[in-house]
Amino acid sequence: MDFGLLSDALAAFVGGGHAHFAFLGVMVGLTFGVVPGLGGTTALALLIPITYTMDPVAAMYLAGGSMGATSFGGSLTAILLNTPGTPPNAATTFDGYPLTCQGKAGLAIGASATASALGGLIGLLSLLIVIPLAREIIYLFGPPEFFLLTILCLVAIAVATMGKLLRGLIAAGFGLIVAFVGQDTVSGEMRYTGEIFYLWDGIPLVPVLTGMFAIAQMLVLGVQGGAIVADSHEKTRLTGVTAGISAVFRHWTHLLRGSAIGTIIGAIPGLGGVVASFFAYSSAAQTSSDPETFGKGNIIGVIAPESANNAKDGASLLPAVAFGIPGSAESALLLSILILHGIEPGPSILIENQREIYALILAITFSAVGASVIGLLAARWLMLITHVRAHALVPIVIALTLTAVYVLEGKLGDVIVCGIAGIIGYLMIRFDYPRLTFIIALVLGKTMEQAFQQSVTISDGNLIAYIAGRPTSVVLLLAVLATLAVPAVRGRRRRQTERGTKQA
Amino acid sequence: MKIVATIIIVLLGIGSPTTNAAWPEDKPIKLIIPFGPGGFDSYARTLAPALEELLGAVVVPENVPGAGGRIAANTVYRARPDGYTIGLWSMPGMSLPAILGERVRYDLSKLTWIAQISFDSYALAVKGDSSIASLDDLCSLGRPASFAAQGGLTETASIATVIAMAELGCPYKLVTGYQSSGQATLGVMRGDVDARINPLGSLKPYVESGDVRLLVTFEQQAIYDGVPTIVDLGHREYEHFGLRRVVAGPPKLPAAIRDRLSAAFLDAMRTPRALAWSKETNNPFSPLDSAQTALAMQDVMRFYEQYGELLRSEFKGK
Repeated sequence: MDFGLLSDALAAFVGGGHAHFAFLGVMVGLTFGVVPGLGGTTALALLIPITYTMDPVAAMYLAGGSMGATSFGGSLTAILLNTPGTPPNAATTFDGYPLTCQGKAGLAIGASATASALGGLIGLLSLLIVIPLAREIIYLFGPPEFFLLTILCLVAIAVATMGKLLRGLIAAGFGLIVAFVGQDTVSGEMRYTGEIFYLWDGIPLVPVLTGMFAIAQMLVLGVQGGAIVADSHEKTRLTGVTAGISAVFRHWTHLLRGSAIGTIIGAIPGLGGVVASFFAYSSAAQTSSDPETFGKGNIIGVIAPESANNAKDGASLLPAVAFGIPGSAESALLLSILILHGIEPGPSILIENQREIYALILAITFSAVGASVIGLLAARWLMLITHVRAHALVPIVIALTLTAVYVLEGKLGDVIVCGIAGIIGYLMIRFDYPRLTFIIALVLGKTMEQAFQQSVTISDGNLIAYIAGRPTSVVLLLAVLATLAVPAVRGRRRRQTERGTKQA
Repeated sequence: MKIVATIIIVLLGIGSPTTNAAWPEDKPIKLIIPFGPGGFDSYARTLAPALEELLGAVVVPENVPGAGGRIAANTVYRARPDGYTIGLWSMPGMSLPAILGERVRYDLSKLTWIAQISFDSYALAVKGDSSIASLDDLCSLGRPASFAAQGGLTETASIATVIAMAELGCPYKLVTGYQSSGQATLGVMRGDVDARINPLGSLKPYVESGDVRLLVTFEQQAIYDGVPTIVDLGHREYEHFGLRRVVAGPPKLPAAIRDRLSAAFLDAMRTPRALAWSKETNNPFSPLDSAQTALAMQDVMRFYEQYGELLRSEFKGK
């Protein structure tokens, strides 16, 4: 990789007089990340008209700055309020919120900030290393590989819901049913849409996720009253932030693995951040020597998804820089900013528009680090929110969330969906059904079905022969089988050790 | 994002109805874009500043995506014909649902056509290093040639393939469901399928980089050396076979307003900034005024209607 280009970009960043746009982007991104319902795509969509009169490099600083900062912003509410600010932060609630309830929010925020910043840096580094191989990597993943990847994620759900397998699968099945509402993307046929236009494009993810986490959590809090961290005086003090920072270095293998997963999933067009962070979480839980501690406040459960979440931002640019084809909603918006500035996205974009692309990459990395620093500085005050009494907190968060969901696309239908999802989410909490498996299934449903149908059409129905002839597919298939075998092997080993201890 | 725009406009007092100024100065003109960011959006946002200057009005591009453009189509069709709501229309895309037998809530023959912005004719491409060298090769593979298309069977990309292959008498199979036009082109480059029919403008960057190779263009005159047009190959002319971006307002839009809007769009496409953008981003303009657009749209609808039966039988039971 050409690190000379990177140092040129760095020099332009420092000396070009546009760096304040990156800082502005970070502030926008943090704000949009923190508010549940608003996220990176909304921030970018709002910034598009503003960038029209700007220099393209400055526009990239602004856009990249906001893109890299939303991930960490979203983790703050995930940790403090059990409400992911953006969809990929959903996995962070698993262990982040229990830590907050134990009065260890500082530890979780410190870890999240550090994992985000380092994940962003590792993501940048891997992006620079793999850019020359971008085409080969992207060519490895065709429809059958997409299908197997989604299966791998769904199988990981089963493993990640330890102890609640049946409930997890029920929730996932329900998620799949909801995912299939709307136009069949392969045949064009309408499913469960009635005469309602709103349903044609399917049930949208963000309002569902926001309802299921933010609204549901507020309902829980409202019903139980009090504050998140009940008694407080000695705990108001910010403790544990440094412990959180050092925890990331102590668990560096999880940091690296989370970042690697984020980079790979990010690079594959169409899978997205929810899958990346969830996958990082479940792989950490799966390979852990004491998986029971996950979901009860294990700091690794914060480190793994947050490092993946930031690592995926840089990698998600790969299809865009290699082909000019966006691999995610965010990069589609980034490319449309470039088009507005008279830059034609295409396979030669990295050759003809190095300046803008490297500015973008740099801004995303800068913002991952910058947002974390700002977050750490503000952590002390942010934590106070957990001491606010429910009757004051609940109405504010609900009002803010519903407004955010409406601002998203100006559709009243989104607000209704968010409200319904909130009630369903509350019932799921009440009756102890995992919500994330529902969300994962909702995210993956369409891609899975579409990739399956495409694979069947391409292979004229000989799916198995088709998969057997593709090395990447075979590797993925083995990974699926291995994931399925993990609980069985683990259970057997546990029985053996139990027997061993009894005998002794 | 339109909410924020509206709030800003209200705060600035632009939207106050108290002034007596005549159209178009007293409130903003909404330019409805039927899709999210992408081709249509870029055209609208590039032309908007010039339109504002030429009309002396505020022009707000507003994305109304959803249901394959039908939500935007209905919004524009049902708007008051006062010149404050106009929209971009994708043709033939917006004419196809009715042809395929769907009950639509807009009647294209009653719309007020304002101007055509672009026309991009289709071309057929295969992978850059594919062994398929000609249309004849593609049609005699000993199996149906596979084609990638974004969206479902009823989207324009699929329909273009069905019409072209039926006319050429070439056995084919469609692999639909790609998430975007770019991803479908990637499907060709990755070798998922043999070929793809897509507007020439979107294929051009990949032709230039050698990732894909054109076998035939559906144009009147050849642009690329060595790439035959459909006419060269002895087939009928397909002068309406392509993607058009057209501006139209609701039915019964007063002629005076229509003509001022039409002139403003034509002039906006001639500004240096718009021309430079068009050249650099390879997004060509094909301007037509309101009368010419209306005629062209009649021809387009007639062209696709003749394939109505074929398309309906093709999609039945799928």
